[in-house]
Amino acid sequence: MSSAGELRPIQLLGEFNTRILAFCRLVAIAGLGLMVLIILIQVFFRYVLNNALPWPDEAARFCMLWMTGLMAPSAYRWGTFVSIDMIKGAMGRHAAGVLNLFMLLLGLAVLFVALQFAEKHIRSGWLFNSGSLKLPLQLVGGESIRVKLAWMYMSLPVGFALMVLVSFELILKQVHELLDGSVSYGDPPDRIESRAD
Amino acid sequence: MLILFLPLFLIFLFIGIPVFFAMLAAPGIILWSIGQERDIAFLYRNIYNGIDSFPLMAIPFFMLAGELMNRGGITHRLVDFAQVMMGHFRGGLAHVNILSSMLFAGLSGSAVADTSALGSMLIPAMEKNGYSRRFAAAVTAASSVIGPIIPPSGIMIIYAYVMGESVAALFLGGMIPGILVGVGLMMMTAYLAKRYDFPIASKRATLPERGRAAARAFFPLLTPVIILGGILGGVFTPTEASAVAVAYALVISIFLLKAMTWRDLPGVLMRACLTSTVVLLLVGAAIAFKAIVGLSHLPEILAGWVLSLSSDPLVLLFLINLLLFVVGMFLDAGPAIIILGPILGPIFVDLGVHPVHFAIIMSVNLTVGLVTPPMGLVLFVASSISGVRVDTLAKTILPFLAVEVLVIFLITYIPALSMFIPTFFGFVQ
Repeated sequence: MSSAGELRPIQLLGEFNTRILAFCRLVAIAGLGLMVLIILIQVFFRYVLNNALPWPDEAARFCMLWMTGLMAPSAYRWGTFVSIDMIKGAMGRHAAGVLNLFMLLLGLAVLFVALQFAEKHIRSGWLFNSGSLKLPLQLVGGESIRVKLAWMYMSLPVGFALMVLVSFELILKQVHELLDGSVSYGDPPDRIESRAD
Repeated sequence: MLILFLPLFLIFLFIGIPVFFAMLAAPGIILWSIGQERDIAFLYRNIYNGIDSFPLMAIPFFMLAGELMNRGGITHRLVDFAQVMMGHFRGGLAHVNILSSMLFAGLSGSAVADTSALGSMLIPAMEKNGYSRRFAAAVTAASSVIGPIIPPSGIMIIYAYVMGESVAALFLGGMIPGILVGVGLMMMTAYLAKRYDFPIASKRATLPERGRAAARAFFPLLTPVIILGGILGGVFTPTEASAVAVAYALVISIFLLKAMTWRDLPGVLMRACLTSTVVLLLVGAAIAFKAIVGLSHLPEILAGWVLSLSSDPLVLLFLINLLLFVVGMFLDAGPAIIILGPILGPIFVDLGVHPVHFAIIMSVNLTVGLVTPPMGLVLFVASSISGVRVDTLAKTILPFLAVEVLVIFLITYIPALSMFIPTFFGFVQ
């Protein structure tokens, strides 16, 4: 659904983000489900069979990192990140818009810097194997392959890269609203309410 | 020079920059301006290492368990149980509200979940029973703060992880303060009920009626026993206990109470995912922030300044409670703990305050901040559920807030209230 006066490029970027983030959320909730399952398997093996498995702790952390990375862009897009909104709430629409634009640009700068360091981090991850995670290719007649740490290191940067896309969408919307006072984009259509204390 | 990150961070926070970005941008800008780019890489790695943690997994699991309990119709059974136990007192439904919060606290560990689950059910019921809507909303909001104090508790898991404390010790440390808040609120309710002639909700339940309600609430009430019993008995780690709590909540919600179907599961997982992601990112940023706090020698500098105010720990604890209370007015408990824990914790531990005692003071104080204006999250949730304006609610809640402030000072100046149970179980030497 698009608001009246919405510009086509912003609309396209918004639709792209809506679709890709919906897919990411599906993977993220699967990750959370898997985390529970993996830890329950470990509880069963450790306390019932008295034979702790070597891989569940790391596998569950793998899922948690990817869950966080893939859910973060949706949380950012839906305005779920914790902040003190008092000043913005007390400002006029235009001034609040300018402040919001500054915040979005600062967030974008943080994400860009983080991505630069993430790239180096991931590169180092190709040099090391995970302590316990292996692809069990022996089950299909091959040899098991140890998982590279880079696959874990990638989780947050993927999230940050998607947050950059979200930032572009939010910045463009904010600039358009500032330039044309009659335009209001409102919340994304797929937003759900949730806040932690 | 590096210490300048603190005023910059406070400015960012105050103008409304999300805490996650403010915690990274402020130290990052200062490090860059003094030519220490290498430490910015250190900042990034700390975010990653902060999230890549097995103990931290308890956060998404407890959040998921809370969502499942909420969706699974467990609230009704708890309220029914509370009603047969306390409904016959004057001001019965207000007492039921508080007792339900105490019972719910053993399941969820979140004040917001408590307010939304109990408020949507009890506020209309109390109004129908003759209470004003604003009083009903105020009791709901005030009693909800028990959620993160009685174990399990999301904010205590965060504190334990960020500050390197034992989750079990903090869980146990919160038990007496949580019960004290509940009992204090009930005493205030009893006083107000007598003064304003509040209604009695129902006649005294017979023993068989109480037995039936207890049987219906048996399985939900077993959850804290499984969690705490498992941790204390050395059967599970807190993370494993939280995963078991998820499985248990799923089984009773779908198979036993049949209030939830498999179709509801993706929505429940989604909400838990979203809430946990925001918290996990904050914890990652907090670990990075903590590293910069250490590099800048901020705790030592602040400690010198604090000690120049007074060298008496009792006076300093009073002052710190004032500071936490004011911070709690503007920030939610989780982020406030993440920001202030690494700064204040070492100062008070050096002054001889036990880390578990300080953790409980901080957790309870900042949790009470959830019902203080202008930014009390629970106040907003109670307002949106009840339709009562936040400013009206803020005034009505004042007698209950006074009780909670009194409890904060009791646990501050009587360390045994938070230390007795963890010491008894051997989690504190």
